[in-house]
Amino acid sequence: MQRSLIRRGAEADIFAVDWHGKKAVSKIRLPKQYRHPDLDLAVRRQRTVHEASLMSAAKAAGVVTPFMYFVDPLNCEILMEFVGGPNARDVLTAGLCKKMGSYSAMLHAKNIIHGDLTTSNFVVSNQLVLLDFGLSYYSQRIEDVAVDVRLIKEAFTSAHVSLKDSFESFLAGYLEVAGEKQTARVVEKVREIEQRGRYARVV
Amino acid sequence: MICLGIESTAHTFGCSLVDSSGKVLSDSRDAYKAPEGSGIHPREASRHHIEVCSDIFLNSLSSAGLSMKDVDIIGYSMGPGLGPCLRVGAVVARTLAGFHKKPLVPVNHALGHIELGSMLTGASDPLVLLVSGGHTMMLVFSQRRWRVFGETLDITIGQLLDQFGRAMGFASPCGGKIESLAGQSSGKYTQLPYVVKGNDVSFSGLLTAAKHSAASNRLEDVCYSLQETSFAMLAEAIERALSFTGRKEMLIVGGVSANRRLSQMLESACERHNCKFFSCPIKFAGDNGAQIAWTAMQDYQSSGKSVLVKDATVRQSWRLDLVDVGWRG
Repeated sequence: MQRSLIRRGAEADIFAVDWHGKKAVSKIRLPKQYRHPDLDLAVRRQRTVHEASLMSAAKAAGVVTPFMYFVDPLNCEILMEFVGGPNARDVLTAGLCKKMGSYSAMLHAKNIIHGDLTTSNFVVSNQLVLLDFGLSYYSQRIEDVAVDVRLIKEAFTSAHVSLKDSFESFLAGYLEVAGEKQTARVVEKVREIEQRGRYARVV
Repeated sequence: MICLGIESTAHTFGCSLVDSSGKVLSDSRDAYKAPEGSGIHPREASRHHIEVCSDIFLNSLSSAGLSMKDVDIIGYSMGPGLGPCLRVGAVVARTLAGFHKKPLVPVNHALGHIELGSMLTGASDPLVLLVSGGHTMMLVFSQRRWRVFGETLDITIGQLLDQFGRAMGFASPCGGKIESLAGQSSGKYTQLPYVVKGNDVSFSGLLTAAKHSAASNRLEDVCYSLQETSFAMLAEAIERALSFTGRKEMLIVGGVSANRRLSQMLESACERHNCKFFSCPIKFAGDNGAQIAWTAMQDYQSSGKSVLVKDATVRQSWRLDLVDVGWRG
């Protein structure tokens, strides 16, 4: 199979491949030299299987994600639809932030925690597409929901300092789906987690 | 211009003289040693600092062959750290500044680790991993501040190693002992919780599991598994931050940067991203006065700001991402 490297991610390599005449993407988790082989294999295999099942679940929840063609747990590889378009990190607008908020709320409504909600995991195609469910899991705990939201807040306040009110736009989108009461609960929990952080200002 | 830096955030009391080119003219320090099986008692550590402070201070002058007349400014670590320990450093700083009429510059201790590390290694715009007893943070510089890309959600890597070591009856700091025991392991890996949440890590569950594991496994193997698991978590978090920020330099600073296995893993992670790896020289990995002196020097030279003796207080909780850094581009 002909393949060319698109992106070397943190834990997986993304290749462009041909899947029966269709342009597709292969996401493969190659072994990491620095990790103990037992730990390495356990982490890679578990994430591949989880990612595949949670990606389908996210689709059912109403979030746009790439279509999956094939999953190979032995090689730790997933073959999926190729989504063209710029990375949301590079073209971030208030409108995109809002949409990200709605997507997150849809996932959370179905107890799906994305686990890696950062602006670089969204692609702007004709729709906004959410990628990378490698760290996703199911949870009903408000704590886990808030950790998810806190992560993207961290991205907004570190990588997108110049875009004003990005997190507020995100919350506006979140509120549209989750409603006022749930959003307030999440925001309160995020605040609590930040307070728990090291050397957070004790008010 | 010569700056005297005074460090006293935790177990170490240190004084150091640094000139404006970054040359470390002297570096005197002494660390409080906790009894075996227990950690740093803040009161006992501060008592240690009181006992050694004048000797350390005088030694920093004499080993540089200088007197207080040659010193232009005084920097001290204002926080974050243990209150009683910080106060000893602040008292010494206020006394010297008041008596000798020198400008007094407060320094964030964590910023000191980064600034000294990047000066000594020559890293210009790195992704920084700050690992110590007080911090586990990944940072990049952007718009006047060090921005946090990921950090621990509970205890730090230093606390993980120390608290595990203490439970095994070692004396704090335990990192060195755990590293040498891990080196004697047969390489038998026992599965321990591996918790990476996005760019953040969490070590508290790992600590509990490692303590349990020690009941039924050889201590060497548990130390080995503990290091393998926790360091791999950090290496993965670093890979995430590298791939997100596209930084081509990585710098590790703080006490735990002295661990060779951690450096080895990070180096391998950096290689995959064509990133240059820098590690703070082991001599300056732990807390020291030079990190305070060098940071105070840069702050004073760029802003000209100092504080009055009456305002030279301490801040036990002082997050690094709240500090304005005017001298970086």
